[in-house]
Amino acid sequence: MTAAYGKAYISDADFFAEREEVLKTWPTGSDVDLDEAVAYHRTISDDKKFTEALKKAAEEGRVLVQPRAGVALVDEHIELLQKLAAEADLLPTTIDAYTRLNHYEEAQKGIERSVAAGKSLLNGFPAVNHGVKECRRVVEAVSRPLQVRHGTPDARLLAEITLAAGFTSFEGGGISYNIPYAKKAPLELSVKTWQYVDRLCGYYESKGIRINREPFGPLTGSLVPPCVSTSVAILEGLLALEQGVRCVTVGYGQLGNLVQDVAAVISLRELCDEYFRKFGFENYQLTTVLHQWMGGFPEDEAKAFAVISWGGAIAALAKATKVIVKTPHEARGIPTAEANLQGIKATKQIVNMLAEQHLLREDSLQNEVELIKKEVRCILDRVFELGEGDFAKACVRAFASGVLDVPFAPSRFNKGKLMPVRDSSGAVRILDWAGTPATDEVREFHRRCVEERGVSEGRKPSYHMLIDDIYAVSKGRLVGCRR
Amino acid sequence: MSTENVSGPTIVLGVIGSDCHAVGNAILYRVFSEAGFNVVNLGVMVSQDEYIDAAIETNAKAILVSSLYGQGELDCEGLRERCIERGIDDILLYVGGNLVIGKVDYAQTEAKFKKMGYDRVFTPESDLNEVIKLLYADIKERFGE
Repeated sequence: MTAAYGKAYISDADFFAEREEVLKTWPTGSDVDLDEAVAYHRTISDDKKFTEALKKAAEEGRVLVQPRAGVALVDEHIELLQKLAAEADLLPTTIDAYTRLNHYEEAQKGIERSVAAGKSLLNGFPAVNHGVKECRRVVEAVSRPLQVRHGTPDARLLAEITLAAGFTSFEGGGISYNIPYAKKAPLELSVKTWQYVDRLCGYYESKGIRINREPFGPLTGSLVPPCVSTSVAILEGLLALEQGVRCVTVGYGQLGNLVQDVAAVISLRELCDEYFRKFGFENYQLTTVLHQWMGGFPEDEAKAFAVISWGGAIAALAKATKVIVKTPHEARGIPTAEANLQGIKATKQIVNMLAEQHLLREDSLQNEVELIKKEVRCILDRVFELGEGDFAKACVRAFASGVLDVPFAPSRFNKGKLMPVRDSSGAVRILDWAGTPATDEVREFHRRCVEERGVSEGRKPSYHMLIDDIYAVSKGRLVGCRR
Repeated sequence: MSTENVSGPTIVLGVIGSDCHAVGNAILYRVFSEAGFNVVNLGVMVSQDEYIDAAIETNAKAILVSSLYGQGELDCEGLRERCIERGIDDILLYVGGNLVIGKVDYAQTEAKFKKMGYDRVFTPESDLNEVIKLLYADIKERFGE
């Protein structure tokens, strides 16, 4: 079954032909010079390279702390990152929502309006509009490794510009930056354009410049069962490796139940190794990232800090390589630099306090790890059958048939039939599997968990229970109460 | 576009601009439908003209605009003027979510959006049962239904 896979490497001729078209899609594309970019990367010191920081942290068993942040204008963005550098181990550049949809004209208006307003009216940094030189000013002004974080179905030009500017890590993937982030972008196209992004990173790798690639783990961040997010992470990891990427960080969004969350990170790491090797990939650098709770946050800042710290605890106990932090302003959207710093500090305090502690591999943890592994293998077996030797086809067909189905995704190319719900202990189980395959034994386990909660709450598990779960954390609990 | 045949007033629902936050939209659709409205749900990433086209086509009494990603200020401006241009001057405009960048005092945001021509402005914490009551009352007052 695995024999035909792993051979869709984009040839030099195809890559450079496509590249010519990509660079024409906005005027700043003409400033990208790949040879100059490679030479520039050779001058970047190790302490500013994402891959080096991850490698060192993995060796030392440390959890690195990284915020999200991005504003419209270059000088303001630099000022923001310099403030965050005081506490953060790794820095981001979060891209605005117009750029994510390749609406560069609108981003340009946003830049102009932000200049006029004297404050950022965009929810991120429009890197394509700023171009290589301006982005490089950001790279040179900060003392930490920098990653591009976004949500872009077609990120080819964004990758060309930011990597040429000296960014050393690029988040996203053909599934994870389409299904949760777009409505009309065909999956076939996003997977294809992300193969280009991976091929570009692979090109840098072939020149001795290692770029870190990070599939976006949490997907919609709305009660996504671990088996779904893990399957997607493995597929995107394989797609990246196939194009020559050698440094992959796979992610998971905290759901709230300690045992399930730690088990999810452990099984994510172990399953990635299992599948990457199964398909013949060796000599890759694999690390993990835990995203603090991605759902609705409490408005009260003290309560928000509790959610943030609980996420930090999961990252530390699961031995994730890094943690992406939320802020006390999360319920109200984009945070100030000060609020962002507070989130980082709260997280650092807890990950450092837990650095020496290990959760024993007790039965309940081991059982949960085994459960997730069984679920993922069952899903991926079917996905690889559908792909007939081609990872990209496997992804597209899996979503078209509902074998992969992400809850609450805006994309038309996602069925949206799979229904999760929490059990009495807050672990996310599946109420309706829809088209997603599972063994009878696994289905029976989920059914019993959900039924038990229904009995204890005196109501039938339904969509109403799920809605209560969606609101629960912002209202001060994990398991949703009947309204 | 999803609608169900119910006898209540028709309203148009959607998340404006380049915003892909889908969870709240799914919940609003359920809650307003259960409250008896005929909800035309346009989903996420809706342009101003898409709201207006749907409102004209279905003779809607209100447009409910959501925005959670912070760029609401850029996306929402001009919707009232566009409604007037297209001949639906008196349609009710509700807007809610995290409408501006940063944690800004609600009264300030409310004033800004009311000046833009929105009839009511809500936060993510607004009680939906209250919103439903207000919407029925506003429709009755403006259209006598």
